[in-house]
Amino acid sequence: MRSATLLGVQGAPVEIEIHLGMGLPGFTIVGQPDESCRESRDRVRAALLSCDLPWPNRRITVNLANGANERKGGAGLDVAIAIGLLVVQEILTAESVAPYAFIGELGLDGSLRGVAGVVPLVAAIDDRIVVVPKAVLREARVVSQHTVRGVASLSELVQCLRGEQQWYQPEPLTSIREEYEQSDMADVRGQSAARHACEIAAAGAHHLLLVGPPGAGKSMLAQRLAGILPDLSDTDAVTSTIVHSAAHIALPNSGLVSRPPFRAPHHSTSLVAMVGGGTSALRPGEISLATNGVLFLDELGEFAPSVLDALRQPLEEGVVRIARARSSVSLPAKFLLVAATNPCPCGEGAPGICVCDDRAKQKYLRRFSGPLLDRFDLRVAVTRPHVDELLAAHPNESSQQIAARVMRARQYALQRNGCLNSALPADMLDVHAPLTDGAAKLLRNHLERGRLSGRGYHRVRRVARTIADLHSEQEHVEEKHVAVALALRVGVQSQFSGDRVAQ
Amino acid sequence: MSKIARIDDECVIAAVLATKAAVKSRALSQMLDCFTPSQIARHHIEHPPTLQECERMAERLELTAMNVTYVGARDYPSILLSDSSRSPVLFWRGDMRALQQRRVGVVGTRSATAAGRYMASHLSFDLAERGIAIVSGLARGVDAWAHKGVSVAHMRKSSQVALGTPIGVVASGLDVVYPKENLELWNFVSESGLLMSESPPGTAPEAYRFPMRNRILAALSEVLVVVESRAAGGSMITVEEAQKRDITVMAVPGSPRNTSSAGTNLLLQQGCAPVVGVDDVLVALGLDTRSEHPPIFDSRPPLLAQDAALAATMAGDALTLDQLVLRTRRDVLDLAFALGRMESLGWVVNNGGWWEVLGVQSQSGYGGFHGIESHVGD
Repeated sequence: MRSATLLGVQGAPVEIEIHLGMGLPGFTIVGQPDESCRESRDRVRAALLSCDLPWPNRRITVNLANGANERKGGAGLDVAIAIGLLVVQEILTAESVAPYAFIGELGLDGSLRGVAGVVPLVAAIDDRIVVVPKAVLREARVVSQHTVRGVASLSELVQCLRGEQQWYQPEPLTSIREEYEQSDMADVRGQSAARHACEIAAAGAHHLLLVGPPGAGKSMLAQRLAGILPDLSDTDAVTSTIVHSAAHIALPNSGLVSRPPFRAPHHSTSLVAMVGGGTSALRPGEISLATNGVLFLDELGEFAPSVLDALRQPLEEGVVRIARARSSVSLPAKFLLVAATNPCPCGEGAPGICVCDDRAKQKYLRRFSGPLLDRFDLRVAVTRPHVDELLAAHPNESSQQIAARVMRARQYALQRNGCLNSALPADMLDVHAPLTDGAAKLLRNHLERGRLSGRGYHRVRRVARTIADLHSEQEHVEEKHVAVALALRVGVQSQFSGDRVAQ
Repeated sequence: MSKIARIDDECVIAAVLATKAAVKSRALSQMLDCFTPSQIARHHIEHPPTLQECERMAERLELTAMNVTYVGARDYPSILLSDSSRSPVLFWRGDMRALQQRRVGVVGTRSATAAGRYMASHLSFDLAERGIAIVSGLARGVDAWAHKGVSVAHMRKSSQVALGTPIGVVASGLDVVYPKENLELWNFVSESGLLMSESPPGTAPEAYRFPMRNRILAALSEVLVVVESRAAGGSMITVEEAQKRDITVMAVPGSPRNTSSAGTNLLLQQGCAPVVGVDDVLVALGLDTRSEHPPIFDSRPPLLAQDAALAATMAGDALTLDQLVLRTRRDVLDLAFALGRMESLGWVVNNGGWWEVLGVQSQSGYGGFHGIESHVGD
């Protein structure tokens, strides 16, 4: 009997063997089942009896075998065990079930329930027709190369296998992508610089840090950022769908996650919830769920430092590798990081209005490690919009207009570099982002004054490249593009240095 | 007055007396008018200092390179002697001759704007170049930047005249550096000027000591310049102490939007003279400003006309890019470009996301907040 279990975002096929023997009646599951898996003997027994199917009063041994010798978890093996029991009692013939694999949890009344990770589970079984609960049929069909059958109950399944009933025929999948109800950038009043930064972040996949007082609209901007990202490519959509399915998160009606996801975990989020792991199935964390989309961390300073530092490696590599004593997996984690923070303990930030002294500010900002701050290419100060702007009659540009520009800039970048600008390697910058003389002079000036580090220098050039892609079609990055990139990279710990005096 | 005074027995006894909580400062001060410290120790207090205490103090003073002076000693500063609330005992490092220079106090808030820090350091730099000593409290913010300006003047040594020295008055013991980040400055002040405190060695910087420090700071200044201050704050206590002593108080005007300039603007309303450049202070000191000194030279290249207009529009406020867009109705890209250009010339600075103008060009040098038109809103 064939089924599958889940580890991380990958399914692994499991072969189920059943033996009926002499001895005291009993039911043992061997082959490293976990707790929920061991409970399946009670569920299976109840389900068989409620469907008027016989239960063998003999010594039953179920072996869960797969090559990797891993721990098997989840209730998804229930159906396969039940069918196996029917085969050994000769209610079903071995030939009739041979072409099928079964995934699903059994209810005590014999109904079939969905389980986490249907998409990767189905994908793991490559040579059989997969039977899944009807409730998750749509999800299961995302992996299109498989034939998938959906059934609602154990008795229906038995009848179908005996040929007494036709399999349920779902409507053919439509490839039309749905329109999503999404919040629009036009709702954001004022904030021209911050809106601009969002546009640049979306176009070049640059990580964005919003610095501003409470109520300035940081969260509002971050939510709308996902809306101006282009639709996911087919491969990206499947990756995102698999991760969502593995985490048992409701999928959109089409079954496919085709829009960039937006995840905004609260700042009390634990390390494991953020990066993944935890259960023996190594559930994907928030960073994996945000794959191909936006991960928004509000109140960045309130997150545990260990959680923030754990983001560094995934930010760099786009995957997170989780290793536990029994297993290790690699989960996708290619997300656009948007974070928001207050500028200082009093929250005001504006010099002359803020009451915090330099030390208090530094202490506040020291909560974020330098390496993490370094990864934000765009750091923008946000202020509360002015009354006039809040009441302004003319709306700002809509997400649709911005998204069109973003899409075009991304296309330029992909044609030229083969990757988005944020991923441009440092040694290719001169090839793909050549500077005009004026731009080079401006950057040099900043480097010489110590306002820019070596790493910052490359980041500014990448952002400038994106700005140039958004606003001109020229090969060279001009001085004004660099100036804007510099202006949108607030020195979070910038200190006024008396450099006129010190010259 | 030798640079390092010999720690004689009287000094040590005075230092020990200063540590005694039972001996009130005012009483000790009065007693010192008539008696030497050893006489007081022997005859006039309940628990006279023990030999062990004195030995320990002598050791400590030597270890921390601290000098002691007391009312009645030859080296006690004469400016303080006539003060009604003088300190009976003072601990000091450096050179008492610093007090013979003309002295200007430069004080202000700990949470200064970039423009305030700029003003503090540049004003002190210019005053020091003209041989005027800068008195300040070595706190964070304006105080520290005032002495940083002096340290730059000392580093350059461009002036023909003897440079003004830094005079620091602190609240903690001289061996307890607070705030710690000012250690370098602390050493600079004691090496190039005079660092003093009325607290014995090892005294922690307790909050109540700061207002007391401010009275010495005020008493040592001939003119007190407040660069930036909130309506209630340490600097305003210094101002009160200065006014009690009939010392001229001057204030640097700031934008009415800045709460950190609320105190200074209040002082201006009350009739204090404004400071927009070094000449204003020189006039207050009664110094001739006409020909001795070359006109103030601003090394920054002049601004383009359109950029100067932008600087004037900012009117001394700290603004984000958003607020500037609203105020000027210009394109974000265009503005960011202009700001970048001005920043590279040193005319504006990005202070944690907020842009500030560092001194608009004007007749009186830097810091003239001219061209202020009425701007509605934030």
